[in-house]
Amino acid sequence: MNPLSHDEMERFQKLSNTYEPDVQGPLVSNKQSSHSIALDYSNADSTLATKTNALAVTHPECRIMKGDGNCGWRAVAFGYFETLFALRDTIRIEAEIQRMKSLTALLEQVGLSDSIYEIFVDTTEDVLNQTHAAILGGAQDESFLVETFNEGYTSEAIITHFRLLTSAWLKINSSRYQAFLNMPLESYCATRIDPVKTEIDEIGLQALVDCVIDGSGFGVEILYLDRSQGDVVTPHQLSSNRPNDATIRLLYRPGHYDILYPANNHLNMAPIVNLQYEMTSDYSPWDQSALGFDVNSSLMAIPNLMQDPSFGMGAPMSPMPSVSPTPASPFRMSPQQDVYSPPMHSSPMHSSPMQTHAIPSIPISSPPAQLAPPSAAPPPMTSLPSRSSEGPQIRLNPLVMKPNLSRSLPVSPPFKK
Amino acid sequence: MGSIKRISKELSELTESPPDGITVELADESNLYEWKISMEGPERSPYHNGIFHVKLSLPTEYPFKPPTVSFVTKIYHPNITNDDKGSMCLGMLRADEWKPSSKIAAVLEFARQLLAEPMPDDAVEGRIAEQYKNDNGRYEEVAREWTRKYAGASQ
Repeated sequence: MNPLSHDEMERFQKLSNTYEPDVQGPLVSNKQSSHSIALDYSNADSTLATKTNALAVTHPECRIMKGDGNCGWRAVAFGYFETLFALRDTIRIEAEIQRMKSLTALLEQVGLSDSIYEIFVDTTEDVLNQTHAAILGGAQDESFLVETFNEGYTSEAIITHFRLLTSAWLKINSSRYQAFLNMPLESYCATRIDPVKTEIDEIGLQALVDCVIDGSGFGVEILYLDRSQGDVVTPHQLSSNRPNDATIRLLYRPGHYDILYPANNHLNMAPIVNLQYEMTSDYSPWDQSALGFDVNSSLMAIPNLMQDPSFGMGAPMSPMPSVSPTPASPFRMSPQQDVYSPPMHSSPMHSSPMQTHAIPSIPISSPPAQLAPPSAAPPPMTSLPSRSSEGPQIRLNPLVMKPNLSRSLPVSPPFKK
Repeated sequence: MGSIKRISKELSELTESPPDGITVELADESNLYEWKISMEGPERSPYHNGIFHVKLSLPTEYPFKPPTVSFVTKIYHPNITNDDKGSMCLGMLRADEWKPSSKIAAVLEFARQLLAEPMPDDAVEGRIAEQYKNDNGRYEEVAREWTRKYAGASQ
């Protein structure tokens, strides 16, 4: 026996049919300080508070998306246009216009007629042209895009374009995605991708990136803010493109996506990143799973690694060994640089290219045990066993001080999760 | 605006090759957003031989919001409100299930199909739904009678 009368049921059905949640705020906000996110969590679970405080340091700016069910789609779409604009490369935009047009073949392939999709494709193209014109016109910042994305029609049309492409891509590449779905792919598209205002999930996001974003060469990184163990948000790369200047960074909180902007710390890190890039040149692409062990936990298991922030100043591993570590040296500016001496043969990444960087005078083929001149051992390390005979040394990224922190930062490839 | 472009294309497609048992015209030539539909009751349904006038309104946000469908002709049906609005709002017509890639033609076909096969579990008229499930003969009788009375069915 149903406790509600028919009249009540009818009334509720009507209410439910017409219900629309009342969500405040612009569709896409201006850039704002990530401290606002930390503030949101200041009284929350301590894990979240810690993570959001760390986030405000590593990613000082964010852009909030309206939580209307489209936020994930909108964050990726806005990030795509914004990144294109930031590169200020009109030739690249022309290439993107052509690429976007060519993607309509996918829509034809799944039987959509052009009378259905043309207005969506047109809108994407219009905004690409607008971006092109803004660059030529010397626009100061991306505020024109914020304005455009706050126009209901334009915002919805671009999102719909991206939804249709993603849906078509999933259907055409069903074998790649079906295993991850708990329902037939056709019904997944019909219920989770195609309808307006259905929030994007992980599979949808991956397919969107694979179909629409990957071809642009942009990286996509998602940072998960949840209650999992750790002091920092957990990053995950969605794109096969390496994280670089043209990387869209999303903050995920359960049920919601925003955009993040990392601190501009390239200056101090540049030499280190270059060194490590050399080290990875044997592996293309670098993929942690190819190593067969967890790089981070292996590295972090080395005793003394954390207690030793000064070690490495002017050590033989300096990328420019001839430069004496005077206070003026750019490497001194990073307070947390560290040098790590792994046991020999522990990992294929301790390869000779970095040795040649470290000590250019020694030929690549020299046995590693003879590499580090004892005179170069840093003075303050008396409490530690001499590392001079332990084999090649690796300069850790200065930000790799906490095991989890390393995953949240744009660190160089060997340490990226 | 894109929506006008799309609506005009859909309208011309629908007037050139209308779906079975459905004719379409604008309620007012100067307004693309209000359509006048006439729908034949499907065969093997109690609505057979009736002609139902249906109003289809497109929101200005079309195609990001669904059209609204209301039966101007009074009809006895579990999924159509038994009031002066005669509204039908379920399945693809619900705002949260609407797909911008759905065509108006599909909406009209869906509405006509619903006359042939009501969805009593998604009903807006609980009493009619109950009757449809438990006393189908009586439901058909009333529906046929209303069709004769309001939809000009000759029988």
